[in-house]
Amino acid sequence: MEVQWAVEMFYYSLITTYTIVILLFIYKTRKPPKISTDGGVHKGMDRREKIWMYSLITVAIIGNIIFFSPLIPSMQYNIYLDEEPVKTIVIRMENHSFILPEEPIVIPLGEPVEFKVYSEDLTYGFGVFREDGMLVFQMQVVPGYENRLVWVFTEPGNYTIRSTEYSGPEHPYMYIEDAIVVEEVG
Amino acid sequence: MGPREKLALKYVLAGVFWLGVAGIEGILMRLRILNLLTEIYTPEHYYAMMTVHPFVGIYGWAYMAVMGAFYYLVPVVLKKDLYSEWVANLAWYVMMAGVLITWLSGFLFSYSPLYTLYWPLPVVEYNGVQQIVFGFGSSLIFISVLMFFFNMFATIFLPQRGAGGPGYVAKELLTLAFNLDKLKAKTKGIKEYLPRVNNYPVFVVGVFRGCVDTTLNAIVLLLVSLTIGLYGITEVLGNELSPSLIDPLIYKNVFWWGLDLIADGNVLIFTAATWYFLVPLLTNQPLFGENVVRSVILADLVISLFVWNHHMMSDTPQPLFLLVQGQIFTWGELITMGLTMFAVLMTIWRARPVEYSPALLAIVLSILGYAMGGSAGMIQANIAMNRYFHNTQWVIGIHGHIQLLAGLSLTVFAAIYALAPILTGKEMDRRLSYLHIVLFFVGAVVMGLSQGAAGAAGMLRRTLYFNGEYAGYMSVAAIGAFIMAVGFLIFLYNFVKTYGLKSVVEVLKP
Repeated sequence: MEVQWAVEMFYYSLITTYTIVILLFIYKTRKPPKISTDGGVHKGMDRREKIWMYSLITVAIIGNIIFFSPLIPSMQYNIYLDEEPVKTIVIRMENHSFILPEEPIVIPLGEPVEFKVYSEDLTYGFGVFREDGMLVFQMQVVPGYENRLVWVFTEPGNYTIRSTEYSGPEHPYMYIEDAIVVEEVG
Repeated sequence: MGPREKLALKYVLAGVFWLGVAGIEGILMRLRILNLLTEIYTPEHYYAMMTVHPFVGIYGWAYMAVMGAFYYLVPVVLKKDLYSEWVANLAWYVMMAGVLITWLSGFLFSYSPLYTLYWPLPVVEYNGVQQIVFGFGSSLIFISVLMFFFNMFATIFLPQRGAGGPGYVAKELLTLAFNLDKLKAKTKGIKEYLPRVNNYPVFVVGVFRGCVDTTLNAIVLLLVSLTIGLYGITEVLGNELSPSLIDPLIYKNVFWWGLDLIADGNVLIFTAATWYFLVPLLTNQPLFGENVVRSVILADLVISLFVWNHHMMSDTPQPLFLLVQGQIFTWGELITMGLTMFAVLMTIWRARPVEYSPALLAIVLSILGYAMGGSAGMIQANIAMNRYFHNTQWVIGIHGHIQLLAGLSLTVFAAIYALAPILTGKEMDRRLSYLHIVLFFVGAVVMGLSQGAAGAAGMLRRTLYFNGEYAGYMSVAAIGAFIMAVGFLIFLYNFVKTYGLKSVVEVLKP
């Protein structure tokens, strides 16, 4: 399953839960309590508040563990991968255009490849998209710096590259369809 | 109606006007994304509008409405006079002029580097006049913001007029904002020390701690605006400054540090302060866990100083330790905002049975809006997920707009519904008020969720597509925007019906 779809399913479940809780809250708080609740002002932290705070801290810790883990491909390829990239693709961006290598960009399926993208003038973005429009990965392209990223393509096919950062009204025209071909090797 | 009430209403009315402008812009942009109006609405116009849209929406609408409320409430809560009504009135004109000129820089001069202003785009792709107009307009905005903070800090910290100078106020501010007196007591081994901040109502604590963030933000963005203006002047004079004088990555760090003090600092702190003020007022119940809440506001302030890196997760030249730090600190906001919501909801819970006035309903829905928008933010604000979501419609739809419209705007509307009867002695029609709140919330969520779905499918923000890509998602987003617009029009009708156009004109008279 794509990362984006997994995130969407999780997110929709989450906000459905929020909505149900808030609607129930409104319903319940319109009615008088069955037993009288504690009044007054708590000086320290209330027990329920403590439980809630520790729950939030637990969620934050679990969230960070998941997001720093190699479970997510972008982390796996750029932090945990031991293999050296089998290929380096160097792309330059200038005057709202991509300057691609002279040779067509053909990438072996399932192998790590390195992208080095340089800007000669403005801040751009470098994004690779599947034929159905789904974003595979992206990075910012800051002028004057080497912008580097490693990726492993898991599906063969043709990929579009597009600038993912606004760089003036010419920005929406900054894309090249089928700029990358991913092929099975052997 | 006294001058204090008039001042507050003047700000609120201006805010509502700019919200209307931002709404019209939003709808026009939604139509343009659907490739409608292409004959009269070029990409240059589209991006110029997109550049000024956040200035109009944030500073014109949200800031002016919040300023109006705080100019009124802070002196009332502290039982003091506002330090300077004259400065507050002047700041209104400065802000109005600033937002108008910034808007004109887009509308008349097609200046379109977007609010991100990534260096060197604002100075290399546009001519000197465009830069001067934008730089002048946005400088006025931040000067007005600084005037607001001068007034707030002086009102809060000076026992009476002339009791101390800027040095005294700054010392008090730093001491109380960061609990420095408690730290000092600890170093001296005093165990049972009650920090002086506890002498202030929690609403006021939220106001001055939020003001710290916003002052720093205004200083950074004022410097950016002045820099752009300066580049424009040198170009017009034929003695251009080189853009290479400024490093794009260092600039981006400074810019995001400053800008994010709004998004992750003052918005959250001011929202919390407003909830903390309104909910006890509306439910006649003391705020739940008041002392805990003070600490939460302090935590929010400290965290907000260290979260800017979540805007730079896709910048691979950025040092990894900064990205890791940015990610971890951002999760701190889950804890502080979670505790804020808990305190507010517990206050309502303990007030059962509760009659949901329009203001209270707006607050509860704004909590839901913040929960929805905030959760989307947590998902994208980390190194791993940024590769898939950065600069997509997910960021601006589910996170940005749900948070700003269903969260922040409903909080401001709650303040308007709660305070307008106190200021004017008249309450707006309740049925129309409920209708406005529900339509505005539903419209914002429909728009945000469909944008988010488009983002997950790969649609970028700030990008026009010319071949009908993602049109289905954007059609639903447009429907959401129209629902919201209907809600806003109902609010306007209700407002004018209750108070009359004559009163509106009266308030706006100098």
